[in-house]
Amino acid sequence: MRYFNSTAVGLLIALAASPIHAESVSDKRGLTLDGAKKVIAATVAEATRVNAPGGSIAVVDDGGNLLALERLDQTFAASANIAIGKARTAALFKKPTKVFEDAIKSGRTSMVTLGGDLQNFTPLQGGIPLEWEGKVIGAIGVSGAASAQQDEELAFVGAKSLDSMDMAGMTNGHAPLPVIYIESQKVSAAFTKGAVLVGEDETMMHAARNYMVHASHRDKAGIVEIHEFDTDILYVLKGSAQLSTGGTPVGTKTIGPHEFRAPAVNGGETRKLVPGDVVIIPNGVPHWFREVEAPFDYYVVKVR
Amino acid sequence: MVRTMISTTIAVAILIGVAEAQLVEKIGLTLDGAKRIAAAAEAKAKAEGARVVIAVVDDGGSLLLLQRLDDAQVASVNVGIDKARTAAIYRRPSKVFEDQVKNGRISALALHGAVALQGGVPIIIQGNVIGAIGVSGETPQLDEDIAMAGAVVAVTFTKP
Repeated sequence: MRYFNSTAVGLLIALAASPIHAESVSDKRGLTLDGAKKVIAATVAEATRVNAPGGSIAVVDDGGNLLALERLDQTFAASANIAIGKARTAALFKKPTKVFEDAIKSGRTSMVTLGGDLQNFTPLQGGIPLEWEGKVIGAIGVSGAASAQQDEELAFVGAKSLDSMDMAGMTNGHAPLPVIYIESQKVSAAFTKGAVLVGEDETMMHAARNYMVHASHRDKAGIVEIHEFDTDILYVLKGSAQLSTGGTPVGTKTIGPHEFRAPAVNGGETRKLVPGDVVIIPNGVPHWFREVEAPFDYYVVKVR
Repeated sequence: MVRTMISTTIAVAILIGVAEAQLVEKIGLTLDGAKRIAAAAEAKAKAEGARVVIAVVDDGGSLLLLQRLDDAQVASVNVGIDKARTAAIYRRPSKVFEDQVKNGRISALALHGAVALQGGVPIIIQGNVIGAIGVSGETPQLDEDIAMAGAVVAVTFTKP
């Protein structure tokens, strides 16, 4: 009886005192699913860039609870759970998980029991807290890349991608990129041999950029190209060519991540391209410049 | 006599069927496929105003992809994974077990690696279970409807 009374009194005091004291509650930044997806996209782009053999990428919130996870093709299954564990550990301790791996390695073995009732404590390198304005709002964990070192490097790139994001309502997604200006001389120089105008020295799926621009030049026929992800938007400037699109490629080979080539194609349709023509080739559609009247110059925007 | 027949049969089977018997073609779910399934489920969830977790696992029940929609309860993360795993490794909707328990077969609760909760649906290609999707966060029926909206996308899948 006394227990209830004192509780009731306690409640009354709390109620009386509560008219929102500044210290009673605090503003908290949270990661949305959209933000988590972008962190993962940046990490996957880095994994592709460095040719990582695989990877599971987990993003958790500040309570260590999973928000989003992706396991790349061919990555061993157990890595999914390890990635979650790394992310959870980094979030709940607000530290990179390497701290724990190092401490245990240098003799503090008893730290392996730190988990206790903390589910999924994973003192393995590859978990990095996600910070926003100096506050930990979650964490990323990576497992299944080439090494623990690479796991962490990928996680770090993912965590870093937050810097280019904004809060909901400001801009949709990322901070504006700088305007790119390429003067005409450089552009014509690029067309003499064919060159990448934008997007060469970085992964195409830069966290904030989903396109590349090519100044393309052909002197002779090419082979069949298939881009798994990239849509090509072409504008013909000079010369002419027979372009085959669609059909079934024969003897397809993988030449890089998401890039396929073949010596020939069965079926499909062929068009003659002349200056001024615009062609849009969606991702996954085989295309082939089978005859070229040189010099054939065309401007390409690759969109992913 | 019976034993001889069996061993003869085995010997013949080995002679004839080396290539076919030792290996089998298997269709696997890629991350891209998992993303398409999750995207369809997410669209359905948004249309219903549902706050859910969507989990996609491979045929071994291991997580391939997970999305916790904004405002979904955090406990649904593990429930979603559990439902997906149940549907994948038992190759049937997890509702089957929930129904069994409801109809008095309480021992279905003891099935290893399973949760008897509606909302897990296998992803099927040409009659083969290649993975599963699990949804948690709303009512059992809505969870399953969302999972189903994702799983049906598999009919559009093609191999490279």
